[in-house]
Amino acid sequence: MAVLNRMDWYDLARTTNWTPKYVTEDELFPPMLSGEFGLPLSAWEKYDEPYKQTYPEYVKVQREKDAGAYSVKAALERSRIFENADPGWKSVMKAHYGAIARGEYAAASAEARMMRFSKAPGMRNMATLGCMDEIRHGQMQLYFPHEHVSKDRQMDWAFKAYDTNEWAMIAARHFFDDIMMTRDAISVSIMLTFSFETGFTNMQFLGLAADAAEAGDHTFANLISSIQTDESRHAQIGGPALKVLIENGHKAEAQKRVDIAVWGAWKLFSVLTGPIMDYYTPLAHRKQSFKEFMEEWIVAQFERALTDMGLDLPWYWDIFLKDISQTHHGMHLGSYFWRPTLWWNPAAGVTPDERTWLEEKYPGWNDTWGQCWDVFIDNVVDGNMAMTYPETLPYVCNMCQLPILGTPGKGWNVKDYPLEYNGRLYHFGSEVDRWVFEQDPERYAGHLSIVDRFLAGMIQPMNLEGALAYMNLAPGEMGDDAHNYAWAEVYRALRETRKAG
Amino acid sequence: MALFPLTSNFEGDFVLQLVAVDTDNTMDEVAAAAAIHSVGRRVRARPGHILRVRQQGATEFLPRDLKVADAGLKPTETVEIIWQAA
Repeated sequence: MAVLNRMDWYDLARTTNWTPKYVTEDELFPPMLSGEFGLPLSAWEKYDEPYKQTYPEYVKVQREKDAGAYSVKAALERSRIFENADPGWKSVMKAHYGAIARGEYAAASAEARMMRFSKAPGMRNMATLGCMDEIRHGQMQLYFPHEHVSKDRQMDWAFKAYDTNEWAMIAARHFFDDIMMTRDAISVSIMLTFSFETGFTNMQFLGLAADAAEAGDHTFANLISSIQTDESRHAQIGGPALKVLIENGHKAEAQKRVDIAVWGAWKLFSVLTGPIMDYYTPLAHRKQSFKEFMEEWIVAQFERALTDMGLDLPWYWDIFLKDISQTHHGMHLGSYFWRPTLWWNPAAGVTPDERTWLEEKYPGWNDTWGQCWDVFIDNVVDGNMAMTYPETLPYVCNMCQLPILGTPGKGWNVKDYPLEYNGRLYHFGSEVDRWVFEQDPERYAGHLSIVDRFLAGMIQPMNLEGALAYMNLAPGEMGDDAHNYAWAEVYRALRETRKAG
Repeated sequence: MALFPLTSNFEGDFVLQLVAVDTDNTMDEVAAAAAIHSVGRRVRARPGHILRVRQQGATEFLPRDLKVADAGLKPTETVEIIWQAA
């Protein structure tokens, strides 16, 4: 018997809406879970997914992808790539796995919400596949690092990080809880798939795949390329939902969700991806600066995606364009200076050659960020290590949960964006973070940042030791300089040369 | 006399930091407490300068001998610590 072509039966097969007789439509699709846009089932039946795949096709393709990634891993297990890799590269892997692996598992539940509660049959089908994608990503990104756990305790954070109160994980959870764990199906499609995945995960996965290949880590390169092919499919769930909302007069609500999610994603990438690209990756392997990558992959592509969809650029686009050459330098300096609070060893990335590169990519770097690093480097060269560590907490933003920072040195522009709400003083890192809070204050007001928790006496004893224990960082796990400060030798030699001269 | 948290925005530094002071501390003592976390760590000392304290956005400095308890500051409010030629 001849098999019908997929497109001869696909539309009919996924026409799975019906008129409920025993319950109301709102009982079948509770607005809180399905989206409170007041649109009937018929409006959502116009949802037309751009990427159509059937279950048998999905299984066949995924099986091949898994076979590819797992066989590369098996073939290279004895290659000692991990043992011989640059310490900066190992830090990239540790940061990535800890921040991402369990988040992928959590994303499976967000996809499942779209699968069950979306009124759009096409979305339910795509999200079914998307949910299985995310389970696969969670499993792979836990299985792959597991072979390194016995060699390096920090690798254990691939699994552990998500359950801890480590500050970067509080920030990651706050963001993902906001955009995918506590939103209705339609909002998840806009905030997780359209805003975060279309806008940003491309960058994390494509950029890292290129860096991994450069660093000779073909297992990691294959793994994340394999994941990215899933992402590029299920990231398309949100686009048609936006189209339905805009056509039915809900552009403002759609736009607001995009604006909130894009800003949060940007802040998270500024601390996770920015330092990796501009500081951890060995100079010889850098293809583009973080700013150049952002301009190509986020600014150019995402601007087009937004305008093609009939949406506006977020109201803060000018602030965002300015911040992509600044914020991540502060996130790097901050995470490096508070390095015992990380589960990876950050690379400083500030040798004279690296500073020349930074100055070329970010004119003025030496007069701003460089001024802070000058003091730090002098302390390392002098052996005054106590002054290279902090003795207090950085103040963190009550929205993104990341340090409130700006440009130092000659370009000093650091500023707090405070807001008093119900008698409590909140602090924000930017006008945009404060705006997000103001859109729905009750949604966010009860959350305590790591600093709020410290002030509330929840961290004992009230010192660095207490803070590290609160963050579940055991000895052997807390971060220190990736290269054990070997990079400072060149500054020591320069000083000797100057003395001799 | 009681512990009082403030947020330090130190001129030349890159990040806001939590600083614990006492309600009996003067503004000079607040500046000195903030300096511990910035000067010599990421900001160079400036010989011939003193440090002054002002509320964020203000143009006037708070008097050097003004006590925290009398300054009208809220707990965790951000103060700017600014270099001034002596």
